[in-house]
Amino acid sequence: MESAKETKHRTTDNIAISYTGVFDNEILSVLAKEIEGTLSSDDKVNKKVFKIFIELAQNISLYSLERDVTSGGDGMGVGTMIIRNFDTYYEFSTGNKTTKENIIPVMEKCDNINSMSREKLREYRRLQRNMPAGQKGGGNIGLIQVALTASNPIEYALVKCEDGNYFYIVSVRINKD
Amino acid sequence: MELEDIVIEGSHKNFFTPSVNFNAKTGICELSGESFLEDTAEFYKPLIDWLVEYTEKIKKPIAFIIKLTYFNTSTSRCILDLLNVLKDYEDEGGEVVVNWHYDENDSDMEEDIEDYMIDTGLKINIIPF
Repeated sequence: MESAKETKHRTTDNIAISYTGVFDNEILSVLAKEIEGTLSSDDKVNKKVFKIFIELAQNISLYSLERDVTSGGDGMGVGTMIIRNFDTYYEFSTGNKTTKENIIPVMEKCDNINSMSREKLREYRRLQRNMPAGQKGGGNIGLIQVALTASNPIEYALVKCEDGNYFYIVSVRINKD
Repeated sequence: MELEDIVIEGSHKNFFTPSVNFNAKTGICELSGESFLEDTAEFYKPLIDWLVEYTEKIKKPIAFIIKLTYFNTSTSRCILDLLNVLKDYEDEGGEVVVNWHYDENDSDMEEDIEDYMIDTGLKINIIPF
C-alpha cells in the first residue's frame, strides 16, 4: 500500500514546470520552448513530452469549459498543466473544467486506447487519420498520439466542482531511458 | 498558364511553419522542418491543389522529399492527403519517388512513416540521418 508520505510525494513534489491560466498561443509557445529546451538533458525525452504537451494543451485551448474571452470570440480555454520529474519518468498532467456529458465519451476513449496493444493503437490511428477532420469521433487522434508517444496508459480523474461541473485531469508518464 | 513554384521559408515562432519548396520545372517537391500551425488545412490546401495541378497538367516525374522533424496530429491528416494525390498519380502511370528522411533516434517517426506506407500503398524510401 502507498503510504500517505508517498502519495504526497507523488502528487505534490518534484514539480519541474507548472502553469495555470489561459492556454493562448503566446503561453503555448513559452511553455513549448521551456519543455523543448530545458526540461532534461535528453532531447528524445524532451521531444516526447513536447509532443504530448502540444496535443493536450490544444485540447484545453479548444474544449475547456472555462474561457478567457478578452481576446474576443469564443475565447481561449483556461486550464492547468504540471510536469513532475521522478527518478525514472516524467509525469505530464493537464486539467480543465468540463461537463459530465462532454467528458464521459473522452474517458471511454481513454479506456479503449488503454486496452490496446501498440500494434492495435497504430491501426486505430490509421483509421482515425482516414476520417475527415472535424467529423464526430475524429478528435480521437490526439489521444491516440499521446498514448503512442508516451508508451504508457493514459490516466484520468474527475473532480466534482461546486457549480455542478467537473474538473477533468489527464495524466501520462514518459519513461526516462 | 504555367504552374508557379511554391517557396515558403519555415519558422519556429508561436506556431511552427514548415519550409516548402515545390518546383514545377524539376518536379522536386520538398517539405521540411516542423509543422504545427494555427490553421493547418489553410496552409496545406494550396500545396495539395498544386500537386493535383502538376499531376493533371505537367505530368512529369515527381520526387517528393519529406524532412519533417516534427508534425502534430492535424498536420498528419494533411500529409496523408498529399501522399494520396501522389498515389493516385502513380496509379495513373505517373512516375513518383517519395524519400522520407528522419532522425534515426526517432523510432516514433519511423513507425509513422511505415503506417503511411500501409495507408497509401505508396513505396516510401525511409532514410535515416
